[in-house]
Amino acid sequence: MKRKTYKPSETVDFIVVGSGASGGIMARELSRAGHSVVVMEQGPRLEPEDFEHDELKYRYLSGITNNPATNPQSFRHHESEKAERATGSNPLTYARVVGGSSAHFNANFWRLHEIDFIEGSRLGPIAGASLVDWPITYAELEPYYTKVEWEVGVSGLAGASPFDPWRSKPYPMPPLPVKSSGVLFERGGRKLGLHPFPAPMAINSVMYKGRPPCAQCGLCGGYGCEVRAKSSSVWTVIPEAEATGRCEVRSQSYVFRIGMNKAGRATGVHYFDHDRKAQFQKARAVVVCANGSETPKLLLNSATNGHAHGLANSSGAVGRYLMFNKGGGAQARFEHPLNEYKGANVTRIIHDFYDSDPKRGFYGGGGFDARSGGPLTWGQNVPKGTPTWGPEFKEYLESYTFWMTCSGHGTSLPQETNRVDIDPELKDDWGVPAMRVTYQDHPDDTKHAAWQIERAKEIMDAAGAIQIVAEPVREARGGVHLLGTCRMGNNPATSVIDKYHRTHDVKNLFLCDGSSMVTSGRGQPTQTIEALAFRAADHINKFARANEI
Amino acid sequence: MEQSIPSRRQFLAAIGNLASAGWIAMHWPAIAAAAEHGGHSGHASPDTAAPPTTLSTLSAAEAADIDAIANLIVPGGATPGARDARVIYFIDNALGSFFAAQLPAFRQGLTDFKTAFAAHLGTDKSFADVPETQQIAWLHEVEQTPFFAAVRRLVVLGLIALPKYGGNHNDLGWKLIGVVDSHVWEPPFGYYDQDYAGFVPYPGTKPNPI
Repeated sequence: MKRKTYKPSETVDFIVVGSGASGGIMARELSRAGHSVVVMEQGPRLEPEDFEHDELKYRYLSGITNNPATNPQSFRHHESEKAERATGSNPLTYARVVGGSSAHFNANFWRLHEIDFIEGSRLGPIAGASLVDWPITYAELEPYYTKVEWEVGVSGLAGASPFDPWRSKPYPMPPLPVKSSGVLFERGGRKLGLHPFPAPMAINSVMYKGRPPCAQCGLCGGYGCEVRAKSSSVWTVIPEAEATGRCEVRSQSYVFRIGMNKAGRATGVHYFDHDRKAQFQKARAVVVCANGSETPKLLLNSATNGHAHGLANSSGAVGRYLMFNKGGGAQARFEHPLNEYKGANVTRIIHDFYDSDPKRGFYGGGGFDARSGGPLTWGQNVPKGTPTWGPEFKEYLESYTFWMTCSGHGTSLPQETNRVDIDPELKDDWGVPAMRVTYQDHPDDTKHAAWQIERAKEIMDAAGAIQIVAEPVREARGGVHLLGTCRMGNNPATSVIDKYHRTHDVKNLFLCDGSSMVTSGRGQPTQTIEALAFRAADHINKFARANEI
Repeated sequence: MEQSIPSRRQFLAAIGNLASAGWIAMHWPAIAAAAEHGGHSGHASPDTAAPPTTLSTLSAAEAADIDAIANLIVPGGATPGARDARVIYFIDNALGSFFAAQLPAFRQGLTDFKTAFAAHLGTDKSFADVPETQQIAWLHEVEQTPFFAAVRRLVVLGLIALPKYGGNHNDLGWKLIGVVDSHVWEPPFGYYDQDYAGFVPYPGTKPNPI
């Protein structure tokens, strides 16, 4: 199929900045509605054969992620400190390829629960945090969660967990085959009276929508899926958007500023093309789906005379309320080999502790899963008491296939002081001012993570582990779930976008990605980001039809 | 030595080897389609690049000391160690390319290591040239230093990273940790899932299959 292209001088209906979980869906929905669309993606377009099973390259050398050497960030815990340039890896990590982070995600697809949308009013104020209700409810988003599951492709067993939110339809595919970690996790959980259940995963368990089932190669998180069984935008909605003949995905195109006219309307985007030459693409409207770090960076770097503190930032909330998903877990060794390097990363999860329980004395809730890590990373971290070299270290290395992780995923409270803004000195390889990250865990987040560690140890003990290893909770210095930095709300004084994802300040500028989230959920935010994208696209299409953009 | 199944370059061959098994047989058309689409039909791919087998960054003397340290971090013997896996070629390659920024600090660390070792032992012999008991005793002295941590990190990476980077010769690192390099697996994956009887619903729930 010949792919559609537009000239930068052509005024297209929509520019979508970012081709990831939300950008891909936005592109498909807008182009299917008859609009001309250009998707701008910073990174290259990789074909299936371009993705490699190379843990060194992908985990240590920024193979497909933002590279601290060329896309640097600085970090500090408090606004009173001078932020230092991060080395080794960036605090905020995301994939920089067509498909965005949906190309390298683990594919855990958890819906938010009803409580996630109304915790502010249910739990009341929490000191140091801004825990507020979303302007939408679970009921409003439920049809779009279902749409994600059927349109993008999710495997799972609906109704298996007594704690699941209600749903209008089962999953379109059965769960993936269980691994040894899942069996042990289920055994331990059931022994404790908990309710482990098959993990919903955005990975094909059977042939679905022309894509094959998972080959169980074992390399999901951090890797692209060359089999195309993982439901990444690059294999799902992006080709469907292009098939309309109205959508161009322009890779290696790095948007650094949104163009504005005197009337206060977005006119297009300034970007560096694959030759690093500055270009300007004209558009009638702009939808930024660049992720929870790049979206606020772009807005803040788009300051104008009329928007001196950054575009769409009259509230001052752009970049603030940065959230990850704090959690705690434990590694466990068993008597026989599990071979966790085989198979999809996660096959069983537990949601018994999803809700925050005031009886614990702190805010926080979450889920657990059974998973594993790649051997390169695993081999670097030796349990306390095990020699770091010599024959006993070698014996430890030889035990790799006998280990699993019970991993907790939980809440991070939104705090005004946790933010992405622009470093006053640091610039990237393109000369674009780089992002500065300020982040300090809320005390409740730390307490909840420590509480999760104890539960993980109990589950692994009940499963029959012969050795359990848990590290103390560490202060967060970054993450991959980049949430909350352009929060949605009804009040323009305290939020960046309205419930339809339109910025309060600029009528033809919309934002939709992890930055839109008001609270963090309990981990695994991608399905919510995708559901928000389907919903936002529905409304944007309605506005366009009514000439209200 | 017979190669194990490389993950990409013989994906189709791997499928062929497993074609009689249930899961693969059931999904054969889809997997074959995936293999075809994924370009796993035997043409050259990045992980087939020939690994370096000579030194290009470290001097022979530097490499000898690092190799001696590496082989004490993961000793050989009944099962392969760092030297068997040619970890030194990984380290040399890494410090000359993707970890080149670390080379000056690494070299300085090695110089300090050698100087302190010579002073401690009162000898001008290099670390690589003294008996293993003396080497082990000295590593216990320096095992908390940043230099030792850097060597240790590189040794683990070199042992397990793809062979194309120079180490993990003949997949010996993977064999050591029990990993078989294949692109396709089917259940049972491990000991504990081989007799799994299936998911039993909880009272009050009605799992809703398709």
